[in-house]
Amino acid sequence: MKQNLVNGDPAAGLSGPEQAEPGSGGAGMTGPRLARAGGVSLGAAGWLRWGWRQLTSMRTALVLLFLLALASIPGSVLPQQGIDPAAVTQYYATHPALAPVLARLSLFDVFGAPWFAAIYLLLFTSLAGCVLPRAFRMARSVRQPPPSAPRRLGRLPHAVSFGTATGPAPALDAAAGLLAGRRFRLRTGDGWVSAEKGYLHEVGNLLFHLALLGLLGSVALGGLFGYKANRLLVVGDTYANTPTAMDVFRPGRLVSPSDPQPFSLTLEHFTATYITSGPQRDQPSSFSAALRYSEYYGGPVRSYDLRVNHPLVVDGVRVFLIGHGYAPVFKVTDGTGHVRFGPQPVPFIPVEQAGLTSAGVIKVPDASPEQLGFAGVFLPTAVDVGGRLASAFPAALFPRVSLVSYAGDLGLNGQPQSVYTLDTSHMHKLAVAPVPLAPGQSIKLPHGLGTLTFTGYRQWISLAITYDPGQLPALISAILALAGLVLSFCVRRRRMFVRAQVGAGGRTVVEVAGLTRSDAAGGFETEFAELAGEIMQGLSGSAVGSLPGDGRPGDGDLGGQAGVDGPAVDERAAGAEEGAAGAEEEAAGAQEGAAGVDGPVVVASAAAGRSGRDSPALAEPEGE
Amino acid sequence: MPINTGLAQLSNAALVSAIVLYALAMLAYAGDFAFGKHRTAAAPQARVPELVGAGAPVAAAAGAAAADQAGLAFPADPRDPSELADLDSRQTGQAGDGGLLTRNAAGFSAPPGSPASQSRWPAGAWLRGAFLLTCAGLVIQIAAIATRGLAEHRAPWGNMYEFIAAITCTAVLVLTVAAIRFRAYYMGLFVLLPVVLALAVDVVVIYTPAEQLVPALKSYWIAIHVTAMIIAIGMYIFGAVVTVLYLLTARHERRVAAGQESRAAGIIAQLPGSGTLDRLSYRAILFAFPAWTFAVIAGAIWADQAWGRYWAWDPKETWSFITWLVYAAFLHARATAGWRGRRAAYIHLTGFVCLMFNLVGVNLWITGLHSYAGMG
Amino acid sequence: MTRLLRARDMAARTTRILRAVLAGSALLAASSCSGGALAQNTPLSSGQSFVEGSFSSTYFSPGSRPAAPAVKSTLLTGQRFSLAADRGTVVVLNFWGSWCAPCRQEAPALAALARYFPQNQVRFVGVDIRDSVSSAEAFQHTFNVGYSSLNDPRDEVALAFQGSVPPAGIPTTLLIDRTGHIAARVVGGVSYSGLRALIAKVLAERP
Repeated sequence: MKQNLVNGDPAAGLSGPEQAEPGSGGAGMTGPRLARAGGVSLGAAGWLRWGWRQLTSMRTALVLLFLLALASIPGSVLPQQGIDPAAVTQYYATHPALAPVLARLSLFDVFGAPWFAAIYLLLFTSLAGCVLPRAFRMARSVRQPPPSAPRRLGRLPHAVSFGTATGPAPALDAAAGLLAGRRFRLRTGDGWVSAEKGYLHEVGNLLFHLALLGLLGSVALGGLFGYKANRLLVVGDTYANTPTAMDVFRPGRLVSPSDPQPFSLTLEHFTATYITSGPQRDQPSSFSAALRYSEYYGGPVRSYDLRVNHPLVVDGVRVFLIGHGYAPVFKVTDGTGHVRFGPQPVPFIPVEQAGLTSAGVIKVPDASPEQLGFAGVFLPTAVDVGGRLASAFPAALFPRVSLVSYAGDLGLNGQPQSVYTLDTSHMHKLAVAPVPLAPGQSIKLPHGLGTLTFTGYRQWISLAITYDPGQLPALISAILALAGLVLSFCVRRRRMFVRAQVGAGGRTVVEVAGLTRSDAAGGFETEFAELAGEIMQGLSGSAVGSLPGDGRPGDGDLGGQAGVDGPAVDERAAGAEEGAAGAEEEAAGAQEGAAGVDGPVVVASAAAGRSGRDSPALAEPEGE
Repeated sequence: MPINTGLAQLSNAALVSAIVLYALAMLAYAGDFAFGKHRTAAAPQARVPELVGAGAPVAAAAGAAAADQAGLAFPADPRDPSELADLDSRQTGQAGDGGLLTRNAAGFSAPPGSPASQSRWPAGAWLRGAFLLTCAGLVIQIAAIATRGLAEHRAPWGNMYEFIAAITCTAVLVLTVAAIRFRAYYMGLFVLLPVVLALAVDVVVIYTPAEQLVPALKSYWIAIHVTAMIIAIGMYIFGAVVTVLYLLTARHERRVAAGQESRAAGIIAQLPGSGTLDRLSYRAILFAFPAWTFAVIAGAIWADQAWGRYWAWDPKETWSFITWLVYAAFLHARATAGWRGRRAAYIHLTGFVCLMFNLVGVNLWITGLHSYAGMG
Repeated sequence: MTRLLRARDMAARTTRILRAVLAGSALLAASSCSGGALAQNTPLSSGQSFVEGSFSSTYFSPGSRPAAPAVKSTLLTGQRFSLAADRGTVVVLNFWGSWCAPCRQEAPALAALARYFPQNQVRFVGVDIRDSVSSAEAFQHTFNVGYSSLNDPRDEVALAFQGSVPPAGIPTTLLIDRTGHIAARVVGGVSYSGLRALIAKVLAERP
């Protein structure tokens, strides 16, 4: 605010929360300046106060907004652990020197990084520090009457004056009645009426910012008490919502393994259909997973048709269908003649979407005399293209499996291993002819190591299980934020002032002036013209002709009629939005004599903020 | 349901026709700048001295520059609602940014005072023709989009080709609305230029035959989320074009004020004052920003429905967040002393660059869950 | 887009593809048993759920023990099993899978402890998770495990513990006291001496 004075901002002195916007930007500047100017050393409290002001200034908020935007960029460019861990692994492989450095800077987990959190927490602190006091000020100002009318209304950005035969007091009463009818809040004084309307602008603005705080809280709620899990589920199998049944479990910070809701579901059937012709051949056209589920162990069993964009909601937890694939079924007999594996479906992961060629491994750790391992691909519709094996279609029309066999040490002793990878570093490849297997066919391993049989296949789906208690609050916050945004952009806060006094020749001179700060969407000119017109018409009847902007959507055109429509008004508006209000008391009207002009019409010329012009800064062309 | 190829072909033909109409409209707009008779030139000129007189102390204080500008820079342009107000405006920001810029910023509420300006409709044969061609092109383009949608039995914004057709359509729609509502006919040439270029690239390079959607996109949220995006982006494009003009105009004004020669004279001199352009771009963002916010929220709801999380920092999500932040910064900057004017305009353009990167760059260079968007 | 694979290249390619594409992918099965050689280098995000490897136990003092749920199932041997029927003995419930490396590592210790404690005082029962019967039997054979296991492909036993002290990963070992209350939980592989001390502590309690 002090800066405003320094710069001669005419908004200075306008009471109410309005000036908080530009003012907050300036406020931050005062601290150090005062300190230096006064030569007084600031105490700790002073520094805190100054720091707080800096933090909550608009300038800081702007910088933080930019920083947050900037900080988000690496999160979209570098692979992120939380989104695509495989890509991070890949990055480690291709940039072995750089990756650990990036990891130390949390650049593979940007959105969970301390420095990212620091930025948004500072931003939200800044926001809270700015918005909460404004909310209190707003609450106070709602109970306060509008300010008294400035002495010289002609200095306001929208001003007209006219003469009337009605006396000053009845004229003011009439104007007050009219404004009250338009739901303006009124204050009257000696020879003037002051009216204000449009508090919803500030309400909307505050609602928007408070809702953003609510959004942050909702996200935090989800991060603390929510959890996410993934599970690959083969047709016929059952998933129970307990940590051991999850492939990946990402609990919120305050979630314990016993917290997940104890539902279970069984995948009865899965159907994927594909487009069989045209340019989109091979693309899936629909997925449908038939589930049976119960909310708790032993509870009633219900059915559900799980589809993409159509999650199952059970006990507040949502279950999504996010992927599918094939799990060929294998049986392995070892060298002793015992079945040491299966028959068991082994999920293979698609490595290619058009034909759903899928890769996977089989580990038989309890085979003797040697552990066995197999790696290979499943081809739903196998075709031989000049010696190359490929899958021509994603449906299992001609399913084949092609495997490479290994024997030796699987390394399954101690260190956890992915079930999708085969560590062949301590194994030796077995000489087996690379012939694709049809269902029912077997590979006989050399040296009497055993037999593998491909008995058939099943499909699998991958499920995302999410529980997020912050979801609904987040939705509500987002909707409130949007509502606040629209409200603050659509509603303008505006003041109308009317003064009436006896002028030359005994006629009453009525001045009407308007002021708005927040006319973002425009249109106050029209409203002002209408109001002024109605006040005038009510007082001087036919003496006034057509009015400026009458019924006209006047954005900028309004004053176009000024002086053109003859008898009416010369309205001159300037800088509606930017706080011309400051001119209120200080300025001397350029046309003081105007009131004395005869006839029903008086020209009032307003040059709001003319005082500002006197400041030397004005005359400077913009510095380059 | 199968694709209706006949309708799809009709749609393709209609889109090409729309491009031709827009190109012709551009020529006509350019013709207006070159040969248009600005018949009401006398009116504002006549009023200038009067006003300068009225605001005598102003002119004196602000220096000759202001008077010169009002008198010389735009005397002949009846479309400029700001020039008179220039004299009335006052200082708002700090010295560096104040002066001429904010003088203009005050302007829009004060009118040029010419009878011609009372009409919302374009004046002059060139301009009228250009505007009619624009409207005709718009109608044809809407028809092209509608037939495409009918051919595919869905909202026709499932891939990049369709998306570009849709956002250029809203950009032209915003242009026509702004032209009528704010008499911003002078924007025609500048908005149509990028629109025609984008559509040409769209038709020649990115064209995708009509097709069905993958299951992931089969949701009514696509209609809500993407429609809101399209509307917001159309307004953002318009706002960005206005901002570029604002920067050019402001520079021109500074040069004129400093008594330097302005190379940009020509067309720039025929544009309204920088204050008017500044406000026009601000308005565009005032509408675009809530629309964008809504679109992002709708996208989050859809993501929540489809993937079980409303926000996961997918690259598209991240960049729409960045875009949102930068435009939010622009809105705040415009309300902050010392940031108005050119600085705010640069922030505005930064936001637009982020938006464009999100549309093009993220699709081309970064893979994510939105990578079905259809390029590459 | 279509990636053609030559049968001959397949071994090398598969290994590479599997490592690159699958290691640590979102579909990773077997939570505690995740991560290949490459994945070990990457900083796993904070969401990773379990303590791996090292012996980490939680002991509940007698006053504050949650009751163990009623678990009824069938053992690999075909016999019926009911947890409630074992009141009066300490029950060691070990959740394992034949595919899980830490389970294979702790198996000898468990087998030895089952022989060390008298059967009428401490009963060992395994819960075989996400495994086929033949694999489970092969595992039992390999490690000469003297006690039987419940085959629980549907995770029903673990689900029954949801709400009290569920296994937080594989392997997890639960100690249930003579009154049918959960006395301790070991997440990750057990060590012979660590588990023996824990069992002895529970055994020493007077009901």
